[in-house]
Amino acid sequence: MDNTNEMLLEFDAMGENEGFARTVVAVFVSRLNPTIEELGDIKVAVSEAVTNAIIHGYENGAGKIRLIARLDGQKLTVQVEDHGTGIADVVQAMEPLFTTKPEQERSGMGFSFMEAFTDELKVESKEGEGTTVTMVKMMGVRDGQDN
Amino acid sequence: MEYELKLESEWLWIGLPVEIDHFQTEQIRQAAKEIMQKGYVKYVVFDFSKTNLMDSSGIGLIAGRYREMAVRGGQVYVSNVSDRMKKVLMISGLYRIVTPWEQVVVSESMNHK
Ligand SMILES: Nc1ncnc2c1ncn2[C@@H]1O[C@H](COP(=O)(O)OP(=O)(O)OP(=O)(O)O)[C@@H](O)[C@H]1O
Ligand SMILES: [Mg+2]
Repeated sequence: MDNTNEMLLEFDAMGENEGFARTVVAVFVSRLNPTIEELGDIKVAVSEAVTNAIIHGYENGAGKIRLIARLDGQKLTVQVEDHGTGIADVVQAMEPLFTTKPEQERSGMGFSFMEAFTDELKVESKEGEGTTVTMVKMMGVRDGQDN
Repeated sequence: MEYELKLESEWLWIGLPVEIDHFQTEQIRQAAKEIMQKGYVKYVVFDFSKTNLMDSSGIGLIAGRYREMAVRGGQVYVSNVSDRMKKVLMISGLYRIVTPWEQVVVSESMNHK
């Protein structure tokens, strides 16, 4: 039996769409019967990546964000893609508390949250071309106990 | 409107929305800025009773108010924090600098006994 499923969504880089994007992913994985904890984790992670595309990638201007979600059995892969400014130094950008926008009250915790709330995080970026964030998380995993 | 702000003398109470993200924090930050022009605020209480999701934008919002209150010799409190929200506050390191409101209320009533 084929146990894979994939979706692709493209939407405008606007704050209003942050809630939309994380809800879409939550509904997409719902058939795996995920725990509330897992759903909360993946929703925050998606929110971080989409917010970054809006405020950093497109610097609050116009642009399109692509969201791809794929299920291989219980394994969820989410990819968030922008064609904005890109990141000059990805390693530095991923350091906790590193932010290029402290004046906008950014805390520099976005990548740390993505890392904490998923099993795998990969960031590919090229200055002037854009950024792709890929996150992997096992869903519907209950270590022997029901909740 | 999903969030709520109340001003009472030096106190600003902020009832947070169900989901706190960049979009929501922009509006709350603006509303807080406006209400703080009406009175001198030294203490801010963030009430999480309705909240079940917060991303790093919320961390920035709380840390920003913390810095503002700290220079005035004030304080930032968090109230009705679920285990889930506590986890988010812990990861960010914010839980070390904000005061759980319930703790204050309990110690106050102890003092009156
Ligand atoms: N999609 C992106 N395009 C361009 N730059 C990005 C992108 N995502 C992240 N960055 C850069 O990486 C830095 C760190 O991102 P991170 O999400 O960890 O923190 P932040 O967005 O600055 O703050 P916070 O997420 O806590 O509000 C950003 O300040 C920005 O310079
Ligand atoms: Mg961010």
